[in-house]
Amino acid sequence: MATFTKANADHLRNTLQEAVVKCSERCLYQSAKWVAELSVSLPMLPSASSSFDADTDSQMQDVDPPPISPAFHFANNDPEEARLEAQELSRYLLAKSYFDCREYDRCAAVFIPSALPRGPLSPTSPNSQSRTSTKAGKRIGKDSGVITEVESEPPSNALPKLSQRALFLALYSKYMSGEKRKDEESEMILGPVDGSTVNKELVGITRSLEGWFTDREARGLSGSNQGWLEYLYGIVLAKGKTEEDAKRWLIRSVHLFPFNWGAWLELSELLNNVEELQKIVPELPRNLMTLIFHLYASQELYQSTDPIHKELDELDNIFPDSQFLKTQRALLYYHSKDYDEAETIFSALLHADPHRIDSLDFYSNILYVMSARPKLAFLAQIATATDKFRPETCCVVGNYYSLKSEHEKAVMYFRRALTLDRNFLSAWTLMGHEYVEMKNTHAAIESYRRAVDVNQKDYRAWYGLGQTYEVLEMHLYALFYYQRAASLRPYDPKMWQAVGSCYDKVDRPVQSIKAYKRALVAGTYYDQGSSFGSGTTAGEPAGVLDPETLYQIALMFEKLNQLDDAASYMEMTLAQEEGPEEDDDDEAEGRGIGVTTTTSKARMWLARWEFKRGAHVRAMELANELCQDGVEVEEAKALIRDMRARMESGRSPS
Amino acid sequence: MSRYLTPTKIGLLALISLYTESVVPSAATIPVLSFLISQVLPVNSVTSRNDDLLRSRDIALTLDDFQKATINHISGIPGRTVWDLLLNKLWKINSFDALHVFFDTLSLLLQKTPEQLQNEAEGGADTDSNPNRMLLSRTSPLGAFVRRARLEFTRLQFHYGLTLGKSFVPYRAPSLPQWKKRNQTAGNTSFDVNLQQDHLDLGDRLTEVAYGELETGALQVAGVSTEDVKKLLEYQVDQMQRMGSRLPQAMKMKLRDMIESGVTIPSLSHYVSFLDSWKAGDYPSSFDNLHRYFDYTMHNRDRTFYQYALLNLAILHQDFGCYSEAVVAIQETISTARENNDMVCLNYSLSWLYHFGKAHPEEIHEVRKKGVLGTDREALAFLKAKAKETSMWTLLSTSLLSEAKLSLSHGDGVAQAFESILKASHLNVTKNVVNAIGSQMSMQSSVFGRLGVNCQAWVYGELFLQCYASSSPVEDVVHCIGKSAFLLSQKGRYEDALARMEEIEEETLQILRYSQYWTSSLGLLKFQRHLHRDNLTAAEHVLSQLRAPLNPSQDLQFNVSMLEMDLLIRRGDYSKAMEMLEELATKFNEEEADTYQRVKLMTLKAQIYEKSGLPQKGFSVALRAASLAHRARLLPALWEAVGRVSAVLISLKEFSAAVKLLESIMPQVLECEDCNLSAQTFALLADAHVGMAGQAKAETLQRKEQLTKALERIERSFDEFSRIEDVRGQCEMMAKKATIMHLNGDPVLANDCAAKYLDIKRAAKDQL
Repeated sequence: MATFTKANADHLRNTLQEAVVKCSERCLYQSAKWVAELSVSLPMLPSASSSFDADTDSQMQDVDPPPISPAFHFANNDPEEARLEAQELSRYLLAKSYFDCREYDRCAAVFIPSALPRGPLSPTSPNSQSRTSTKAGKRIGKDSGVITEVESEPPSNALPKLSQRALFLALYSKYMSGEKRKDEESEMILGPVDGSTVNKELVGITRSLEGWFTDREARGLSGSNQGWLEYLYGIVLAKGKTEEDAKRWLIRSVHLFPFNWGAWLELSELLNNVEELQKIVPELPRNLMTLIFHLYASQELYQSTDPIHKELDELDNIFPDSQFLKTQRALLYYHSKDYDEAETIFSALLHADPHRIDSLDFYSNILYVMSARPKLAFLAQIATATDKFRPETCCVVGNYYSLKSEHEKAVMYFRRALTLDRNFLSAWTLMGHEYVEMKNTHAAIESYRRAVDVNQKDYRAWYGLGQTYEVLEMHLYALFYYQRAASLRPYDPKMWQAVGSCYDKVDRPVQSIKAYKRALVAGTYYDQGSSFGSGTTAGEPAGVLDPETLYQIALMFEKLNQLDDAASYMEMTLAQEEGPEEDDDDEAEGRGIGVTTTTSKARMWLARWEFKRGAHVRAMELANELCQDGVEVEEAKALIRDMRARMESGRSPS
Repeated sequence: MSRYLTPTKIGLLALISLYTESVVPSAATIPVLSFLISQVLPVNSVTSRNDDLLRSRDIALTLDDFQKATINHISGIPGRTVWDLLLNKLWKINSFDALHVFFDTLSLLLQKTPEQLQNEAEGGADTDSNPNRMLLSRTSPLGAFVRRARLEFTRLQFHYGLTLGKSFVPYRAPSLPQWKKRNQTAGNTSFDVNLQQDHLDLGDRLTEVAYGELETGALQVAGVSTEDVKKLLEYQVDQMQRMGSRLPQAMKMKLRDMIESGVTIPSLSHYVSFLDSWKAGDYPSSFDNLHRYFDYTMHNRDRTFYQYALLNLAILHQDFGCYSEAVVAIQETISTARENNDMVCLNYSLSWLYHFGKAHPEEIHEVRKKGVLGTDREALAFLKAKAKETSMWTLLSTSLLSEAKLSLSHGDGVAQAFESILKASHLNVTKNVVNAIGSQMSMQSSVFGRLGVNCQAWVYGELFLQCYASSSPVEDVVHCIGKSAFLLSQKGRYEDALARMEEIEEETLQILRYSQYWTSSLGLLKFQRHLHRDNLTAAEHVLSQLRAPLNPSQDLQFNVSMLEMDLLIRRGDYSKAMEMLEELATKFNEEEADTYQRVKLMTLKAQIYEKSGLPQKGFSVALRAASLAHRARLLPALWEAVGRVSAVLISLKEFSAAVKLLESIMPQVLECEDCNLSAQTFALLADAHVGMAGQAKAETLQRKEQLTKALERIERSFDEFSRIEDVRGQCEMMAKKATIMHLNGDPVLANDCAAKYLDIKRAAKDQL
């Protein structure tokens, strides 16, 4: 991106600013915030800085705004839309102020006075008419005044003639009011009705949009769609679990208006793995936002690979001050377990903008893993000082209490976070962890389950589910969840170890060995393949295989009665004491792990095995080593005694 | 603001943990411990009743106080004082997490509970790193304090804990220079290790977000917790209720500051303002505050508190003169207290009702009829029994005193009264009922006054003022001062009396009732003085002022009437005086008046008859008065009545009988130290002697002797009159002297006396 010039920057800035206004016109606050942050993070090129204010003015002048438009208004380029917008301006302003006051129903009623049908959304695709729909089943009859129950008829547009902006605002506020009601009906976190409530406005919105889109298509106007309604339709479809359609509509939306970050977010949430991401990439528009999206989605899918970092570098050139991008980088480091690096980035971010609470929960996770209690307390202090009723803040505080092993308090704060935002993923997962600590497995399972429901990509929740079921001794269940976790984090040895041990428990040693071998490979992958400085797992010296895994593999072979293989793995376990051979010349680095319980166990096993094989000398040697190391001395001595006796008795008859 | 924990408490905890680490050498143990204990003990425990302790106990200690308490003690570590170690401990709390750690480690200071010990035995491990540490018993004052602090900290929500941490930072900040001396690395930001690590300075934005209020000093007041404020308010209420005083102005300001600083206001503060406005005589706002207090208190103590509200209401009504409402309220109180089985409240309200009935007999008729209390004696017996049952010693003591008073006013034996008083006194001493001692001593003093042993009465008054004034209700003090001023004025020491009146503290006079009492007493003194100086116009002015207050006490009212009659007599308006007297007498006959007052009235009646030249008419009255006074052992009144009887005798020319009578009472009269009484008795004696001289033959030795005796008595009487500055009496005596001189045929001396008479008259006029 060396060709990124001042003119480009100016143009981009203008576009972004326009996007901010458009988002906030539609009350998409978070998207507006995101775009605004992005636009500010563009570098201030010398000549641009002086004329920054003038720029916006000139922009407004050339587009010839309608006389009554307020300062933030960018006129629509579509004359028909512009005419409609001008007509309904006062109503629009009324509706927007209602929305700002969170009076969603009232806001919707400004443009769509009649009620839309309500009820839970059925998981059918509304615009694939070939499928027979079963909508009638659960619909609440008295509300369906607008659309009568016609099964086979193509949906008709019952909406009044409105500009797309007004229509979006009206339907969006309906959606919001449904969400609000849904939250209210959910009552207590993990209460009896929590999680089983639905947004009852979805049906009405779906129908209306469906009708509107077919109508537009029929009139050949679909070319002048602005993308916002598509975005809303995508959300609604995603809620109705028709994900493929949702993806399609969201992609359509980002084609029409790429600067709506909300649409990208929804899209990335629909992607469950890297393959799906690869699949949709060609369908995406070729622009800056797609780059950012790709980066974000990859991060969400834990792809902390070199190409992704390169992508990030490129974007960083364009937006040198973007906190969003910095956060992404920190998260990438976090996924690759490079906590120090991630911590440094987050710390810098915090210093630059102390009032920023976004994604501080990740920061607190990092500090948690690093056991940096003072720092975590300080972070909690800062977050609390800014806003103590943000889910992120509650998570930070909860993490702090968790680190102090005050699990009840931690749960209290996680619950608070969830009361503030039921879709707050990390709180669900973390609460699950706390419940595990408190030995409340049922609550833990439910929490994890909710986390997974919110976001299927959260490997920690999967892993947690597996652990909980392991505690309950339901290994087949646990195996399933561990596999999910492992598929999300194929290069995390911990996942594979868990899978391996589960296979062992359900008596499938062959698979277990495979899983353990994967774990070994994954372990070495991070050690050698990781290109980011000193990123090593769990502080082990580089080039060492995990002796525990080796030992387990050996035990599995023993189970399979392949004693030779078992013995060779045992030898490998022992070898880890000294470290890899190539490090012999370099003493300072790559020393072995020394004598541990695991290696001692392996040694014991080997001693017995050798003893059984009759290789008494070797067995004696090993047993003596054991006595020297001071581990399992008694057993070793017993073995030695036994051996002596045998050797004596073996010698005397000979 | 936190509920309990404050920076001060953190400091105390640090010092406690220092103490347990055995680094405080034995020489310093006692000072350090007593410093800690003075802060840690609850206010209302017995030992902290000690005044010195209370005074030294600040609600919020500053770091300076800690420094003063610890800097002089060398610690167990060479070269360091205890203060240095304390500083080290305090500055180690260099982040919010460190604060948590600090509180977590507090548990190590305590002895383990059996369960913990068991757990440890099972789980092994968790041994203390410091073998020198002494463990605090869980129930010791320090242990309880540590436990409470830990509990409160655990209960704190995160951001409240944060507020505590933040308020601790400016609290500790003044000691930074000293800390720097010991620790070179300390800097401006060493209050938080995170800031120090990241090399941030005070002006940094992050610092501002984290410790935003540091610069502005808005956190200064956060040094007190709700608990502290509550304690403070409890102390105020206690003081106000025990002493009956008002909130000092300075304290009021302080309280307002504290409450404005965003405390969760304990509802007690409404009670304090109720008491304050009540004492200030602000009827509507005291009502308002009382109701507010009970509205806020209802929800956590529910209806059991209702009777106290009613009791307060009754007292309030009575104070503002709404007697019928007061009766209704107290009756309701009694029935609610009975319902709820609240013996304390029931006894208290019964006793209150009894006293109320004594003060306002006319209001209580209805209640009497219903037989809530029965007769006075029964009521007292009941109260005594109840008080003993529930061991309410104050009530028992006051009931005993009331019994003494009752028996005195009924004219029963003095011995009985003394018995009751002694019982009360014994009770006060053995049960340490400090605030009842005042009423007991004043009772004793008034009994002695009745017996005519005024010096004893005076001594008791002085004793009380010297020893118990500070720990007794202000009301008792005010009354005692009034009484002793009256005694002084009787001896003619007007200036001393006025000075005594001025001794009352200004704070006391902020309370309406006391200031009314005070002004009336002062007015009485002045009234009397003006009368004696024959300054009748001035006296009349004072009188009109004395009549102004709406509801003076009965005693005062009586005294005013007596003096008013005296004024009328001095004016020579005997018929009007008589009229007034009759009016009073009929009123007294209707109610049960005090014997003392009735005797006084009767004597005065005899005196009026005497003055109007009909002494024989007063004979029966005077005799009745004398016998009544004799029965009730009202000795000064008895002597006065006897004087009146002898005046009748003189008028009947029974001089020798009069002399005999008068001479027999003379010693006791002198004992009374009442100048007016002795002057009049001397004058009567002189008259009798002159009469006897008249009966003797002229030029006989007998006549001479009688005349000399008469002159002597006149001289004495003159002295007494001049002591109380009674111009008329002085003149009368001078005139009599001149006459006798003239009779003796000594015109020069007679002339001298006449001249002196004129001088006195002139001097009195000049003084006007």
